[in-house]
Amino acid sequence: MALLCAPLGALAGSIEVIVNPDHASATIDRNLLRAIFTMRLRQWPDGEPIQVFVMPDGSELSNEFCREQLGTFPYVMRATWDRIVFTGTGLAPTVVSSEREMRDRVRSTPGAVGYIRSGERSQLLPAQPNVLLAPLGGFWRG
Amino acid sequence: MADPFFNSSPSRLPIHWLAPVMLGCVLCLPVEALDYQFHGYAAQGYALSSGNNIFGDSTGGSLSYYEVGLNAQIQVHPRLLLAAQGAIRDAGATDSGVARLDYALMDYRIVSGADANAGIRIGKVKNPLGFFNETRDVIFTRPSILLPFIYSDNQNQRDLVFAAPGVQLYGSAVRGRHEWSATGTASADRYLNEVDEHLLVVLPVPSSIQMKDSWNGQIMDSIDGGRWQFAVSIYYARLVLNAQYPSVPPASIYGNFGVGVDVISARYNAERFSLTGEYAIGPNRDFVTLGGTVIQNFRIVADSGYLQGDYRINSRWSALARADAYFRDRGDRGGHAFAAANPGTSAASRYAYDLTAGLSWRPNARWGVWGEYHWIDGSATVQPLDNTGRVPADHWSTLMLMAGLRF
Repeated sequence: MALLCAPLGALAGSIEVIVNPDHASATIDRNLLRAIFTMRLRQWPDGEPIQVFVMPDGSELSNEFCREQLGTFPYVMRATWDRIVFTGTGLAPTVVSSEREMRDRVRSTPGAVGYIRSGERSQLLPAQPNVLLAPLGGFWRG
Repeated sequence: MADPFFNSSPSRLPIHWLAPVMLGCVLCLPVEALDYQFHGYAAQGYALSSGNNIFGDSTGGSLSYYEVGLNAQIQVHPRLLLAAQGAIRDAGATDSGVARLDYALMDYRIVSGADANAGIRIGKVKNPLGFFNETRDVIFTRPSILLPFIYSDNQNQRDLVFAAPGVQLYGSAVRGRHEWSATGTASADRYLNEVDEHLLVVLPVPSSIQMKDSWNGQIMDSIDGGRWQFAVSIYYARLVLNAQYPSVPPASIYGNFGVGVDVISARYNAERFSLTGEYAIGPNRDFVTLGGTVIQNFRIVADSGYLQGDYRINSRWSALARADAYFRDRGDRGGHAFAAANPGTSAASRYAYDLTAGLSWRPNARWGVWGEYHWIDGSATVQPLDNTGRVPADHWSTLMLMAGLRF
């Protein structure tokens, strides 16, 4: 199964949002990204459940993603997820332990969305010929 | 019952109908649609105080304070979520260590989109009041071991305010830099159990207290991804007391107590520090008759507020400082009028000031250790049932420590 990367290049950040190719046509702007990663939005427009994958708290990638792409602080995101979990008003994102696991889980999970470091894309190309790279930078209006 | 930020205790409310409804929903849906999670928390506290007890016999050092919870969420469909949490908490006289159903709800999303969503929750739901009421029992999600006075940590309003069976409507909308969210809850009328009653009113005869017309609402604005957060919260309930005074012939005691809490909240979040301020005002209307004759009829308004600064020293260590105050009667903040009208009482029983300094250590996402010291002036927030036979100390202090695990 292919993996779709949304590098959001217009932001000149070092993080790319990746989505399962089932939703390759999704237009990802900051509002949508925040709605997804704050777990406010539970489904794609076609009704498929959104599965959110994140890196562990405190990891450099997680911190950068929160700051650069979501425009917030990691501890604010943690507080948001905790509030959801401990009030029974939603699901927490799934924490993965590495970028490799992130790519694998997003690729294999319908409706999945996650993020990786931009540089990983080119490094992985030779080893992962099945990975489809489809820049979506034009959709980003950061 | 004149304390406007009233008192109460654990909830074991009859929501037996909810379990079969939830089970039915799950069984009616295809298995592959289910997405579920389990989470939990456990924390052990230690309190060492001088002057007054808090959360147990803390003047001699107490380990009786702890909190444990386990929850499950099942997303049977992107629009339908079922969730429940069981919890045990022991905090002196105000929480008994008896297992309770903390919340159990069915959440149906009516509108779902990136810019707007809305839905309805049915069951026993958490009441948003201020920034921290909904997650007040989880050390990882509250601002300190002891909550600020506006949350009446040592008074326990659990059955009244914290969570209640009812219907909750919620929604949010994103407009530019603002993410607006609103929640409104209508709670079911219900009778308080004996333990809860005892924390509210002590009568030498059997009595019943029914909660009626209870509702809650909150509007919040989160700006720039949460850098600024503002909220207005409103709570109201009416308590109806009925008892028989054993005179000859017996005389009926009837009480009608209107209690409210309105909170305004503001928070600024920066990379290294956060500043949080909240102010609560609690109007309380007391009306009591004995044998048809009015024996109590007054209105009193309490208020309380705090300002807290948090500084994240690094990814593991964080420090806090807080100034907090509570007044039983905002028209008599010093308590002098009350003391003059009630000989033998202390003016300091009508207010409390608390200066707090704290430190926390979070080695990873799962574990945490917290420590804080409170310098308190005034005894208005001292729990009488933890201090039976003691004369409340007007100047006192307490060291609180807590170690917790979450998953």
